[in-house]
Amino acid sequence: MFSTFRLSMTWLHTWFGLVLGYVLIVVFFFGSLSVFDREIDRWAIPETRFAPQPMPSFDTMLAPIFARMAPEPDELKAAAARVKGPLPATLAPMNWGAYTTHRDPVLSLYAEYAVPNNPADPDDHVHGHATLDPRNGRLLPDDQLKIGSEFFYPMHYGLNLAWKDLGYWIVGFAALVMLAALVSGVVIHRRLFRELFTFRPRKHVQRSTLDLHNLTGVVALPFHFMFALTGLTVFASIYLPVSETLLKPQAVAAAMADAAAKGLPFKPAGVQAPLASVDAMVVEAKRRWAARGMPGEVGYLYVNHVGDRNSTVTLYRAGSDRVTLVGQPIHFEGSTGRVLLEEPSPSAVASVNDFLTGLHLQHFEHWLLRWFYVFGGLCGCACIATGFIFFVEKRKRQHAKAGTGGARWADAVAVATVTGMLVATLAILVANRLLPADLAQRGDWEKAAFWGAWVLAAAHALWRSAPVRDARLSSAWAEQCSAVAALAFAAVALNWITTGDHLVRTLAERFWPVAGLDLALLVVGMIAGAAALALRRRAGAAIAKSDPAASTVDAAEAANA
Amino acid sequence: MPEALLLAAALLFSAGGIAWLALAMEVHWQQAHGSATGPGRRTATALRVLGGAALLASLVACLVADHATMAVLVWVMSLAASALLVALTLAWRPRWLAWLAPWARRA
Amino acid sequence: MDNVENHSQQSGPMRTLQIVSRVAAGVLGGWSFTWGFVVLGIALALAAGMPYADAQTLLYLVAFLVYLVVFCWSFAAASIARVWLVLLGGGAAMTGLGWWMARLQAV
Repeated sequence: MFSTFRLSMTWLHTWFGLVLGYVLIVVFFFGSLSVFDREIDRWAIPETRFAPQPMPSFDTMLAPIFARMAPEPDELKAAAARVKGPLPATLAPMNWGAYTTHRDPVLSLYAEYAVPNNPADPDDHVHGHATLDPRNGRLLPDDQLKIGSEFFYPMHYGLNLAWKDLGYWIVGFAALVMLAALVSGVVIHRRLFRELFTFRPRKHVQRSTLDLHNLTGVVALPFHFMFALTGLTVFASIYLPVSETLLKPQAVAAAMADAAAKGLPFKPAGVQAPLASVDAMVVEAKRRWAARGMPGEVGYLYVNHVGDRNSTVTLYRAGSDRVTLVGQPIHFEGSTGRVLLEEPSPSAVASVNDFLTGLHLQHFEHWLLRWFYVFGGLCGCACIATGFIFFVEKRKRQHAKAGTGGARWADAVAVATVTGMLVATLAILVANRLLPADLAQRGDWEKAAFWGAWVLAAAHALWRSAPVRDARLSSAWAEQCSAVAALAFAAVALNWITTGDHLVRTLAERFWPVAGLDLALLVVGMIAGAAALALRRRAGAAIAKSDPAASTVDAAEAANA
Repeated sequence: MPEALLLAAALLFSAGGIAWLALAMEVHWQQAHGSATGPGRRTATALRVLGGAALLASLVACLVADHATMAVLVWVMSLAASALLVALTLAWRPRWLAWLAPWARRA
Repeated sequence: MDNVENHSQQSGPMRTLQIVSRVAAGVLGGWSFTWGFVVLGIALALAAGMPYADAQTLLYLVAFLVYLVVFCWSFAAASIARVWLVLLGGGAAMTGLGWWMARLQAV
């Protein structure tokens, strides 16, 4: 079908890049935002604007709260439909979990409750959760959407499209295409090393766009490759579920053998027993970690078989001092506090996997490296966006002459994706500040603002794309850049007005989560504003040039390519 | 030495090292000096040695500042950021890079 | 297959069918080949004494590199028929062989 290897790779890069690029830029952009997802949560939920805290006392603070926790009402309703006979008034908790990181001021608590009498699924259960201020044990209202960790982050790995895991599959396929685009890009780009630093902004748009596309792609090539690959391996069991299907007998046998070897009770005994002091277990765990040369705080606390004689408490170390995801869990017997098992160092294969996963998921504490990750992610976005622009620029003259509309639609979708995505992101932050604090289902309204703004931006992009048909620049780019600038400045102003935490104060107090986001918003606003002006100037110049003389200018530019 | 200072030094060495390696390439030397001739074989070699040494120094600074795995990542990403910085400098203010080779005479 | 003609000389439904075939081969054929590779790989690792969890982890680490290679090959290969044969046939063969080997291992 293709006469040379290079031609086949060019076709692959162009067409898969174009189609999946729209998904990839979303993944890269929200991935970049997710580096600071918990900081964005602080901006969005002003009650949580205090410094991160270590895991508080289980015995005095968490235990009573777990005792009072109840399953989510909508999960209960769904479960009632699944079971034979009525649901009991209270469901017994199966397990409890508490999770915190070095960036979280608040603590997340989780519980699973056993649902009896489901003929289809004997392990049926529902969930409960709570968010807690660990300084005083106060529960935070749960309908406050954590815009960073519960919206932008899921957007990154699943497009917030949970139906039948469709979002995971689309993102996964996009990641594969990313790998193929990188490889094919290297094949096409013959002078990779010689043109490593080449960027000629004063040349005509096609040349300078391609230069920037190559630059942002090559400069962070290891980053782009590793992130696409590790993203795929993290979710590999979704894409290649061999252990749940073909090799299920072997997998289950191995899991049961593992559990038996560890000596951890698989099922509850059915005999009640109280929980021993978890605080004492935490002290012991910290002592053991320090003895192994990795002192640390508890990151995740898990109580299994709650209230039963076979209950176990597992303490995981918060692995914030290195790249590898170090869990190093220690299992305690729940009723006595005795150490059942201190998990040994992982195998070589597991260590490699932990390192690669840790590389992607970044639980580590290193602010410079986090900002470098944002830089890499934004390079990826720039690479993809310049790819779109190059595609359109290269074809719009041919299409204008031939009267076909392909370039116009590609451009419209590009605007909808690139600037539209920014508009939507800023719209949810603005809505977060504007909506009344006591509005019911406030989080749902915020999400509606996000999607609604994106739909509007897409409609606007389509409406204003007609000039591309005549090989001119769509005015949607400049107009949406102006909207981005306006929204970004509005978000900063609204934060000041509604919370009083203006930049002077947050910088003086060194409260970086809010100061950092406000500063980033200002920078975005300034860049978008400058871009809008530059685009308007270019469009103005193009109109002044649009007479028969223009065709000679085009020919001269083409000769310079 | 405090971590922030070490990392700042690592970034400086990384940027300088990449810039020297770029200057060793004929087209970029010409951009930086506004000259029609390249750096010549000896100068180019010297620049490459200087650049390599600076990148090595950057890696060492990273390793002193942090745990090994994070240090390597920081270094790799600093190379990427430096490469972009150097490319943008060459695009808009190429003459600034001439300061990194002060022994060369301007054309 | 055509090695001589410029690809744009073929037009219309024939070319569309070729494109669809290549894409399907790359995506679906590639997936089935990768699946077979993982199943056979795990079976071989189990036979070599590796614990199941490690075997799965190892194969997952390499699976997407394999997928990447066969995906690109689907477009670079001269004969689409050969691509389908290798990817679907190879995938099925590896899946069958791996499954059979793993069953032998099972207690």
